[in-house]
Amino acid sequence: MTFQIILLVAMLAASAFAILAKDLLKAAVALAVSSLILGIIFFRMGAPYAGVFEISVVAGLITVLFMLTIALTKQGDDVRESKTVKIIFPLFFIVFALIDLFVMRGILARIPALEGAAEAGTFGEVLWKERSFDLIGQLAVILAGVLSVLALFRKRDRHDHE
Amino acid sequence: MIMNEWVIYLLFAAGMFFLGLYCLLTMRNLIKLFIGIEIIGKGVSLILLSTGWARRSIFLAQSLVVTYIVIEVSLVAVALAVIINLYRTNQSLDIRSLTRLKG
Repeated sequence: MTFQIILLVAMLAASAFAILAKDLLKAAVALAVSSLILGIIFFRMGAPYAGVFEISVVAGLITVLFMLTIALTKQGDDVRESKTVKIIFPLFFIVFALIDLFVMRGILARIPALEGAAEAGTFGEVLWKERSFDLIGQLAVILAGVLSVLALFRKRDRHDHE
Repeated sequence: MIMNEWVIYLLFAAGMFFLGLYCLLTMRNLIKLFIGIEIIGKGVSLILLSTGWARRSIFLAQSLVVTYIVIEVSLVAVALAVIINLYRTNQSLDIRSLTRLKG
């Protein structure tokens, strides 16, 4: 559990760096590091498939998409953020952490114990038999995504200029 | 014992949610805002998987997380395409330049 807590702290630190970094490329890399650490946490919780998806898709593919976008919008880097953002961040974070600790300690006493029987079968059986409707939804979402990206990047018709 | 560890996961997931929300409320760069949304999504998937782990139904939680990741990819693709198109129209990634859109 100690190692898990170290990983969680590292994930939080990488996310904070992703938010506060001025350079967008560094922010994207920090986001990739954060999801890499999340993937390792998933592995250690006994969820290898979710870990593999998190590392390969989120840390790999999404980072590539972010970098492409940053490269295509080069002059957009110089958006001026307000200076107070970085200064008040530690203050807000400490206040939030105190509230978080307080609330979670309160919750711990109240929540009824989570009941759950051990699952039968394998991950494949659960995914393909119990949640097979989700897969149809995933297919629909991917198709909708592809079609909307095509629609967003379509070439202008002649009618648009007239 | 397992409850204590579950609460630790909840604590850190709430931290991730706070980071993303802080980014959404204070930043002005469109790509930065989207990074904030991604961080909120990471917190949510951590909550999903750790709750499944605490209830000993990790397979169900895993399949939900995999579904979420697939949806996240197409969300990212569409949102980044929208951001590129906005940049081409406005020549800027500043969120304040979008106030001209109001009718």
